[in-house]
Amino acid sequence: MFFHIFTNRLKCLLRDRMMIFWTLLFPILLAVFFNMSLRNIASSETFRPVPAAVVNDAGYQKNAGFRSALKSVSEGKDKIFSLTETTRKNAERLLEDGKIAGYLTVGDKIKIVVNRSDFDQSIIKSFVDSYLQTSSAAESILKANPPARSGLSAGLSGETDYLKAVSGGSADPDPSLNYFYSLIAMACLYGGFWGMKEVMDIQANQSRRAARVNLAPVRKLKTFLSGMAASLAIAFAEMLVLLAFLRFALNLNFGPKAGLVIFTSFVGSVVGLSFGAFLSSLVKAGENMKVGILISGTMFCSFLSGMMYQDMKYIVEKNAPVLGYLNPVNLLTDSFYCLYYYDTYGRYLLNIGLLGAFVLLFCAGTYFVIRREKYASL
Amino acid sequence: MIISVKNLVKRYGNLVALDHLSFDVEEGEILGLLGPNGSGKTTAINCILSLLKYDKGEIRIFGRPMRPDAYDIKRDIGVIMQNVAVFDELTVYENINYFCGLYIPEKEKRKRLVEEAIDFVGLNDFRRFYPKKLSGGLLRRLNIACGIAHKPKLILLDEPTVAVDPQSRNNILEGIQRLNREGATIVYTSHYMEEVEQICSRIIILDKGKVIANGTKEELKNMISLGEKITVETSAIHPEHLAALRRIPGADSVEYANGLLVVKSGKSKNNLENVLDFLKKQQIGYGRIYSELPTLNDVFLEITGKELRD
Repeated sequence: MFFHIFTNRLKCLLRDRMMIFWTLLFPILLAVFFNMSLRNIASSETFRPVPAAVVNDAGYQKNAGFRSALKSVSEGKDKIFSLTETTRKNAERLLEDGKIAGYLTVGDKIKIVVNRSDFDQSIIKSFVDSYLQTSSAAESILKANPPARSGLSAGLSGETDYLKAVSGGSADPDPSLNYFYSLIAMACLYGGFWGMKEVMDIQANQSRRAARVNLAPVRKLKTFLSGMAASLAIAFAEMLVLLAFLRFALNLNFGPKAGLVIFTSFVGSVVGLSFGAFLSSLVKAGENMKVGILISGTMFCSFLSGMMYQDMKYIVEKNAPVLGYLNPVNLLTDSFYCLYYYDTYGRYLLNIGLLGAFVLLFCAGTYFVIRREKYASL
Repeated sequence: MIISVKNLVKRYGNLVALDHLSFDVEEGEILGLLGPNGSGKTTAINCILSLLKYDKGEIRIFGRPMRPDAYDIKRDIGVIMQNVAVFDELTVYENINYFCGLYIPEKEKRKRLVEEAIDFVGLNDFRRFYPKKLSGGLLRRLNIACGIAHKPKLILLDEPTVAVDPQSRNNILEGIQRLNREGATIVYTSHYMEEVEQICSRIIILDKGKVIANGTKEELKNMISLGEKITVETSAIHPEHLAALRRIPGADSVEYANGLLVVKSGKSKNNLENVLDFLKKQQIGYGRIYSELPTLNDVFLEITGKELRD
């Protein structure tokens, strides 16, 4: 009997195009959209050397220190300037044509010539200020203590950090991953569509099909659990497809614990399924209302866990930490991030434990409602 | 006794849907449950099937008390609901196979039963169709096939021919009679008097949750005062003629409108000859004449009243 119900439920569910869209295609489309957006943000944040020029005249040639400093930051992989040594006339022309952000002239004083004030111009100014400050300091030191010359160069060029960044794990911190992790968590909760449908197809006061099923000589719980098993199989299979898409098509980094990532997705599928079943058993309104509540509820939870605005997760964590623990989407998102970033399992296990508690709560609530075998009205 | 309902009471708040309803269904009969909208037919069926809670009363099927977990009883019951209850995502064959499978676990036996059900409702050409592609009549037939594929001993049909074309309706009614001939006991609810008159061996009329009439069609017709109804096509009736016709013994009602003279007589009165004699004597020309005995519709209207129901 289990197999009969299971296979037929599989057919029913897999042929429901609307459900497949919301539970599989929608998260994939959203992932593609996120990927495109984040890639653009990343490219816009990449540092580009500032195009600048220096007037190559006698003053410049005479100031060897400045020449050397300027060349040192205009060479190599991490150069700050894309430098052109040229005549004043050419430098002016380049500036007018917008090909450089500004040019420098070296005489008694170092002058910066720009035609507007922006980020690139600020960088040129910062460099010149820094050079003048350092050279002035060097001059003062040499005046006071001429023998210090030998150690001066190393002392002035080196910078000492008094703060040390300590990583919580072996991976680099990457908050942008949270967008994708919360998307996976959202997809898990969308598994609630399957749970919702199972309840609607077993509660005689919610659908005519369910009334017919209730008339059959099969225990209601058996029918329900067989259907839920089919739903879980589909929900988990969809999660595996989504994970594979994110990993292999979008190159998303899940860290080294692939097995636990899959396990977490399974837990997420169970949470989603039980959440949908619980919601459906509680809400007596029609299918459209249930779908509306499921989508809006999941979206709200996803918003709080940073899917639309990354900092929201930290705002919640700072101002209302309890809310974070009561939000299954947040717990799932955090679990994925823990697996990516941390070497220890304390926080991950706490999240999984809380998710387990949610599953128990949802299942108990659903059982309490659906155990009824007679209805007050149909 | 296949079904025994005793003192069944079902309330929805202050509304009494079933008011100490009692009736029995004998083995092998086709029992028609008639009643106006809101009379409690569907509520009664749902209580009998243990889908609905009821406040009071006793229901026994096959001599045993009916409960939601009375699986041995449920195994022998087939139900065709008022509304089509099938899965849109399964084909005709898959739907019948799924519901039949809830009763018949053995695959080979089930396969044979599903084929028989498809043959029975004439859906052979549509077995791979999805319900959304079926017409209203075909959908109803699928609904029936899903309810009877497991060969139940007791079949409850709740208005199975609503919104069905005459051909499909005829097919469904013939099918029900065939199931009965093959041994199934049938409980059939409908609004359509002619259907009930055509197929039911006994009829119960419900109103306001109570049985107000119970018997064969002949017995029911004998319960009402109305007898023969004579209709004459004529265009020359004057008020004095009507007054004279009303004096014919047993003529309960004489009316004339739109060229039709209608004379209704009381029970057991035969006035056709008297009316014709009168017309001849008065030299009133006439066209066609109809003489009709009371129908179930007349019985129904007389018993339940003519006021509109919800």
